[in-house]
Amino acid sequence: MTGTVVEGRRVGEDRTLTPDFCIIGSGAAGGVCALKLAEAGFDVLVLEEGPNIPKEPGRAPGQERKMLNEREVEMYKLLYQEGATRLTKNGGVKVLQGRCLGGGTAVNWSACLPPRLETLDEWQKRGLPFTRQNLEPYLREVVNYLPIVRNDKYNTSAEKFRLGCARHDISAENLPNNTHNCRECGSCGVGCPYDRKMSGFVKWLHDAVQLGATIYTDTKVDRLTGSDDRISAVEAHFIDGKTRPTKRKLVVKPTRGVVMAAGAIGTPAILLRSKLDLDNRVGRFTHIHPVTITIGKYPEKTFPAYGVPDNMWTQKFASGPTGYLLETGSFFPVLTASATLQHGDELHRVMRDYYSTGAISYAHHTTGFDDKEKYGTVELDDNGDPELNYRIQKANVKPMQESLVMMARIHLAAGATSVYVMRNPPLEIKPGDAFDEIRKINFTEPQRATIFTVHVMGGCQMHKEDKRRCVNNDFTFRGKKNLWVADGSIFPTALGANPQVTIYSLALWAAREICERHQKPFQFNHQQGGPLPWPGY
Amino acid sequence: MAGILSSALHAAAHPKQRSEVTMVAFDCLDQKTALILFAVAEAVLGEGFIVKAPKFIETVDDFLNYQRPAQRDQFLLALLIAETTFGLTIGGTFRSFSHLSIEERRKILEKLRSSSQELRRNIYVAFVNVSASTYYASDLTWPDLGYAGVSVDHPEILNQPPPIPWRPKDPRPIEP
Repeated sequence: MTGTVVEGRRVGEDRTLTPDFCIIGSGAAGGVCALKLAEAGFDVLVLEEGPNIPKEPGRAPGQERKMLNEREVEMYKLLYQEGATRLTKNGGVKVLQGRCLGGGTAVNWSACLPPRLETLDEWQKRGLPFTRQNLEPYLREVVNYLPIVRNDKYNTSAEKFRLGCARHDISAENLPNNTHNCRECGSCGVGCPYDRKMSGFVKWLHDAVQLGATIYTDTKVDRLTGSDDRISAVEAHFIDGKTRPTKRKLVVKPTRGVVMAAGAIGTPAILLRSKLDLDNRVGRFTHIHPVTITIGKYPEKTFPAYGVPDNMWTQKFASGPTGYLLETGSFFPVLTASATLQHGDELHRVMRDYYSTGAISYAHHTTGFDDKEKYGTVELDDNGDPELNYRIQKANVKPMQESLVMMARIHLAAGATSVYVMRNPPLEIKPGDAFDEIRKINFTEPQRATIFTVHVMGGCQMHKEDKRRCVNNDFTFRGKKNLWVADGSIFPTALGANPQVTIYSLALWAAREICERHQKPFQFNHQQGGPLPWPGY
Repeated sequence: MAGILSSALHAAAHPKQRSEVTMVAFDCLDQKTALILFAVAEAVLGEGFIVKAPKFIETVDDFLNYQRPAQRDQFLLALLIAETTFGLTIGGTFRSFSHLSIEERRKILEKLRSSSQELRRNIYVAFVNVSASTYYASDLTWPDLGYAGVSVDHPEILNQPPPIPWRPKDPRPIEP
């Protein structure tokens, strides 16, 4: 029996539903759990706060595409949390997170990296059960199901990065991704209009619906209710196309349980609204990968919007508790304008100079390994909406400065005539310049530089220490027998790599635990194939 | 508290009327905040910016719907604070922000940018981000950047014969 996608904005009455499982969130973890629990024969309901992404009507068979028009502002407001304007509480970091069917999988740049091995080692010290060896079947399932491939159609940013790295004797490698027959529109970050990126709504959720799962979009969860050791109901309301409440409510009374998959800000927020704060443990130790960015200006036109965005990287600087990954991407006018920190004639000059002939590189910085630091906290504002209280840690400042220096060197070695560093005020580095000014940037003060993050982790940790543990090693929420947490909020530290594959893999593990608890079959279906696409892993 | 402050500043604000601000039905802005926003955008983007971004005010007003309500309120409050207090920071005599010349408004932006106070730097970044992002979302600005537009509207972008310009050293054909 095929399930369905119900758009909450169109629901005209209050509803009560009684599935076996209610999964909150349709991103990486929600999609995996929906499919595997549906495969096991459960009646599955997925609640997604964001909108559905239907197919464009009136197109011929074979020509169909999703209603994703690649226009940045329209897609940011449709597909991202807070219209892609989510900020940390002090305004210092822009937090880009998906809010649509498929969640982050719909808007990420398709990069597929495994969990960093030294991160897994650190997690074992903190009592987590995951090792490279026992994760193998989960990683293999993800790799073969999506599939994850090495797409070596490099755009100009990747080519310049490869060239610059080679001239510095830095090993730059192909970064595997989950695109298939990519059209190279470059629009992964605003949703692939051609279904060539294997995001949640193309794969996991699509297949879950084929097996009977029901998805409600435009459905914002208010709280969980219950007593003693069980959750008995999920209370939610529907929102309209502009994220305003429609006054229609949904109550879900799951007969088996609830799976939290709303992400590292959404999951703690719902738990906090439900008064399930575990004596102030929930929401704490939230981690990000702060991102520093450079744009090199080259003598020729670079067409920076087009091409596969994120398929070149180096892990030369990745090791250690504050290591960083250098990657490349594509960039568009609005994203560029939002990061320039410039006004007046200089704004337009920078946009003209660095857009038409620019190539981008950026660094994801690892955080979260120092137990003495507080890192971030998910809090609720006066309206009950989440905000992330996060300050850049002192330990990350020097690596963030050095990542900018390294990226500037790589650009200049590749032939850039100048490099734009998004400091406030902006900094342009030319060949022969010293890097002293970069090394003076104080990232601990908000708005001294543009800092993004696209990876939020932790806040509802799996951990051996009583004072930190929110989630048990079987993925159940502490003290609740029928509440599981399957998303990146369980990470005790930041990952040090793009987390999509790790979240998929751990969600598979969580789904297996749930199936075993209820004596239902869990099976791997995609274990065939050759070596994993990450050399040396 | 913030609501009381916002109401008081709103009552005190008398932004300069602009013929370019013609919108009458707003979701999040109102006539006063729309006029202040216009003055801010003019400082960030320059005189006549509305020619290439004719739906600037409508776009921002719509976009504000998607913001977290508390953050949206802070942005609107920042507009009112700018209008009613920032004029004090230059020249010695008070004139409200929207009544200043573009050059004077830019001097204020410079002061905000380099301020030692987090709040002031946040206001600078909010003003610049909103103005620049909305302006460069307009198709009419794209030729200045050499941006050819989005592929769903212009499929010819992706259907060029190889080598395609963003893969200059790769002669392989584009897959269907």
